[in-house]
Amino acid sequence: MAVLDTPLMLFIAGLGVGSVMASIARSRGGEEGTQMMLNAGLAFIGVGLMSSGWTYAIHNSLLASGESSMCASEGLVQCGSVIGDPNWNNLFGVPWGMTGLISFSLLFFLFLSLRMDMHAKWSETFTNLSWYAGLAGLPFVAFLVFVELTQVDGAPHICPFCTVAHLSLIGFLVTAYLLRGRRESSNWT
Amino acid sequence: MAAPKGKDEDVRLMAALATFGVTSIVFFSVILLAPPVKVGPSEGELAPDFTAQAYSGGSWNDFRLSELFNKSWEDGGDGNWILIQYIDTDCPYCWTEGGKMSELHSQWGQDVTFVTVVLELSIPGHESSTAEIEAFRDKTSHDGCKGDSENCADRPGSAHSWLYVDDLAGRTAGDWEIPGTPFTALLQPDGIVAWNHNQPENHPSGEEMDGALQRLVPDDHEHDDHDHDEGGGGS
Repeated sequence: MAVLDTPLMLFIAGLGVGSVMASIARSRGGEEGTQMMLNAGLAFIGVGLMSSGWTYAIHNSLLASGESSMCASEGLVQCGSVIGDPNWNNLFGVPWGMTGLISFSLLFFLFLSLRMDMHAKWSETFTNLSWYAGLAGLPFVAFLVFVELTQVDGAPHICPFCTVAHLSLIGFLVTAYLLRGRRESSNWT
Repeated sequence: MAAPKGKDEDVRLMAALATFGVTSIVFFSVILLAPPVKVGPSEGELAPDFTAQAYSGGSWNDFRLSELFNKSWEDGGDGNWILIQYIDTDCPYCWTEGGKMSELHSQWGQDVTFVTVVLELSIPGHESSTAEIEAFRDKTSHDGCKGDSENCADRPGSAHSWLYVDDLAGRTAGDWEIPGTPFTALLQPDGIVAWNHNQPENHPSGEEMDGALQRLVPDDHEHDDHDHDEGGGGS
């Protein structure tokens, strides 16, 4: 069981690293702080990408064999009843894990572009786009939390890897918000 | 002091390539870890799963199609095949097929789990209800079957003893790509679609469900290895 929990521990550690980086970045002014904030955002996105991929793998294994060794299928904290519920485990036929993978890829592109050239003419636009793209994900997170707590078979359940993906988005959104603040307060560089 | 200028080259192309690379790595890692399963109603695909309320003769209960699947089943092994039928209780062809289904069940009911899913087609006069589903299955008195022109008690065939699933809202019809009713498909015990009524090009000429059952379901199938309850009516 300890081996099975390793990915979850790594994802949680990734969220911790992102949080620490964002916290340090807040206390630093100028370009150095902005770069660190972008790094923090990229850390959150990285965790979001990997946890989304993990939930997609769980989805596939549940379909193939009816069970998955990648996450528990019993109890309150489990994936089987959440990712395995045919009524709620997809968005118009696209598994939620795949949806997350695509969404975090978009965020990765925006933040990586900013990180590679934070002085570009389009950097302000990309900062705003990042914020709005993150905001657009929030209703989906709220919906999915509602679904796992009230709608899935045997609810409530909490899917730990789904929760990691949700927290990644929230972490990203916080960094995007703080970056916008830095820009508005002329603390970008 | 002048504000710092951006780089001369546009880094967004590099960022896009890097994004594509990272996403591809994650995606292909997933494929290696757990390959995607093709889900759909076509032959060779995993049958679309669904949950709904099902009537077993005395009561309505939660039903999940995949709970009938035996994922460890291997070709030639034991396990119940699944005949899934989509009907509309007001459709005249479904009315007639009621008799045929009774015959098939009397012949194959020991080897094959029958499931009938009831839709409500968007046609005037095809309004249905759970009461009508019960009456159609049980052959009890209810005016309103076959386009409201017949009493359900007069349906051809005997009373059906297998599960009738309520999908009057049509939630499963999209996944199953139901073009009209009646529709039938035969699933292997592991849930893979073995025969789809709408793919005649894959079947011997003119083959219907009875022919498919004879061709696909093994003759030496063990009758005493039933994993699944077919409902309160018994079979």
